[in-house]
Amino acid sequence: MPSLITFFRRDARHFQIIFLAGFLAYGIVALQWDAEWLRYAILFGSCLSVQAIFIRWRRLPWHSIKSAMVTGLGMSLLLKANAPWVLVLAAVVAIASKFLIRIDDKHVFNPGNLGIAAAVLLTGEAWVSPGQWGSGAALVFLVGAAGCMVVLRVGRIDTSLAFLGAFAALDFARQVLYLGWEPEVWLHRMTNGSLLLFSFFMITDPMTTPKARGARIGWSIAIAVLAFVLGWRWWVNATPIWALLIVSAITPVLDRIWKGEAFLWIKPEPLKTIPN
Amino acid sequence: MRALVIQALALLAHQAGAFCGFYVAKADATLFNDRSEIILVRDGQRTILTMSNDFKGDVKDFALVVPVPSVLQRDDIKVVERRVFDALDAYSAPRLVEYYDENPCAQWRYAEMDAQESMAAPLSNTATRKMEMSAKDKGVTIEARYTVGEYDILILSATESVGLKDWLVENGYRIPQAAHEVLDPYIKSNLKFFVVKVNLDQLSATGFNTLRPIQIRFDSHKFMLPIRLGMANSNGSQDMIVHAFTRTGRVECVNYRTVKVPTDRNIPLFVKQRFGPFYKDLFARAHRREGRNTVFLEYAWTVTPSFNGMKCDPCVGPPPMTREFAQAGADWSQQGAPTFYTRMHVRYARDRFPQDLVFQVTPNTEHFQARYVLTHPAQGDLTCSEGQDYLEGLFYRRHRELEELNALTGWDVEKHRDYASEVKKRMSPEQLKKMEAPWVLPFSGPGGPSAPLIIALAASVALLLHKILDRRGQLKQPSVTA
Repeated sequence: MPSLITFFRRDARHFQIIFLAGFLAYGIVALQWDAEWLRYAILFGSCLSVQAIFIRWRRLPWHSIKSAMVTGLGMSLLLKANAPWVLVLAAVVAIASKFLIRIDDKHVFNPGNLGIAAAVLLTGEAWVSPGQWGSGAALVFLVGAAGCMVVLRVGRIDTSLAFLGAFAALDFARQVLYLGWEPEVWLHRMTNGSLLLFSFFMITDPMTTPKARGARIGWSIAIAVLAFVLGWRWWVNATPIWALLIVSAITPVLDRIWKGEAFLWIKPEPLKTIPN
Repeated sequence: MRALVIQALALLAHQAGAFCGFYVAKADATLFNDRSEIILVRDGQRTILTMSNDFKGDVKDFALVVPVPSVLQRDDIKVVERRVFDALDAYSAPRLVEYYDENPCAQWRYAEMDAQESMAAPLSNTATRKMEMSAKDKGVTIEARYTVGEYDILILSATESVGLKDWLVENGYRIPQAAHEVLDPYIKSNLKFFVVKVNLDQLSATGFNTLRPIQIRFDSHKFMLPIRLGMANSNGSQDMIVHAFTRTGRVECVNYRTVKVPTDRNIPLFVKQRFGPFYKDLFARAHRREGRNTVFLEYAWTVTPSFNGMKCDPCVGPPPMTREFAQAGADWSQQGAPTFYTRMHVRYARDRFPQDLVFQVTPNTEHFQARYVLTHPAQGDLTCSEGQDYLEGLFYRRHRELEELNALTGWDVEKHRDYASEVKKRMSPEQLKKMEAPWVLPFSGPGGPSAPLIIALAASVALLLHKILDRRGQLKQPSVTA
């Protein structure tokens, strides 16, 4: 048992995989989603396959397959499509972008985010359902707690909090202070499961957030502002996804100005002799 | 094959209906606005909204206030025939399907029945001037004034809610006390107010004694229904049926969950006589189970005229004509362009629906309908051995149907135990003996997994687990050393 715990603690992606799979199970069991096994299988399978191809080609360590699992699960939670090829396209774009769109040896776009955007914008046969989680109190707690665990391990809680804080403040200012809705209208908007999932599981990807903390916080606030403006001015749905896509394009610039340490999923540990 | 169409049942017989705006009475008549039906067409940035007024009070007390995103022109407002709603409703309502078992001793036949949710004056110049002067004082501007069909329509803009509320009260609209709190956010969102009263002279001229639905069209980024206003004068929950049409696919709610109502369930035959109450209770139970804050999907289908797939399965009433779609506002369907029909049912109350409903159009073309299946037993002589096995199966099936009925509606099915046990009367003593043999577990009826299968499965899982743990050295066998 202790070895199992050590195994999980070694890599934050283990927690991501468990929690994302847990949310999928929660959606199917408690929220009555249609269990579209084929969709999950296609997304997950395509992500793993493309990653495996690149691992072989670029001679990368096999543990990076876990990143593809996270991306596949994340997209299974968000992306829906009419046809299998659209899902394959999303998966290919997501994973290939990690290897092909790189600046300063770091990929630019959040893979899941780019995959979803490509499928929705290019094909017109895919969509996301921001309302699928509802605003259940238990869910809020669940996503929040699980999300905190993961991002604390990854060290990107600043990203989540800066984004959520800024977005919530802007929305409070508009909905409650300016328009005069009751605070519960704002609360209903803020407890939306999709928003929380985005805040804790998508925007926090350590590989695509700026390296320096200050830059990261500014970057998160920029996403929040853009997401807010898109929603308020143009009535766009699922705005954080589009905002992240747009703001991600400036991440390399931020990284050049504010230097920081590159993130590693598995920190090298001092060698220990393991009794056999 | 025998198809039989049974007449529509009056289902969910609610009282009067509220729309997303609110009905306000001029007299002190207490109104209960529990039900509304709307058609929502979305084509790009254009929204066409048709509101049906199931208004039960005195027509001179009728008034409707709807927030709209822009000042509507005369051509943007129409009166449409109520039968458009009736046709759509008949087409998409939750339905009951009947099948007939074959006699195993001697073909699917089906019939269908629908659970139709049948829902069922120009002012004088001086009065006008007075209205306008008073409006100015209160920060209310009368942007436009039309008489359309039997309705007198004003488009108002306001600078503050108290003024708007006072103006409405002064002009004979009874406004709920809490209304101005809701009006404020709409005014600040730059919405205008579409205010409707009945023009009694025009009404008598039309020869109709009921109010016809009003249709408005406008261009806006906003794809939403302002339900909050409708909750200002209602203490309980209200039902709203939304018939939505798009070119691409389903409409779904983005700020509440959109959930399918339970469908494709086998239910006992006696439900046929009580299908209305059945669906009503089913809906109420599903609504509670989902936390009373979801939008339910009742129907989703491609209704493009040239669509080769099944348009309805089975059809309830005649399929709507493209003319009806055009009247509903989906005029592109007349040219044969793709058209998708989504029917949603939402029961909302103030405590669980703090925010107005916001929708999105998706490319999702997956079909869905709410249907419940009745299966008639085989007729004739069933004394042969296959016939006896069939009866045994029928007995278990009826048990399951009763359990399903209980799970769906919460109805007490104990008093209907005869429904299953009467099957036994047709079984031979040998068959009964075989059926009641002690080794038969309750779940071993045909259709369910058999007991030996379950035992074998459990044993192999246990064996597998044991093997895995053993290999890892987690499970140490006690050594049998002396």
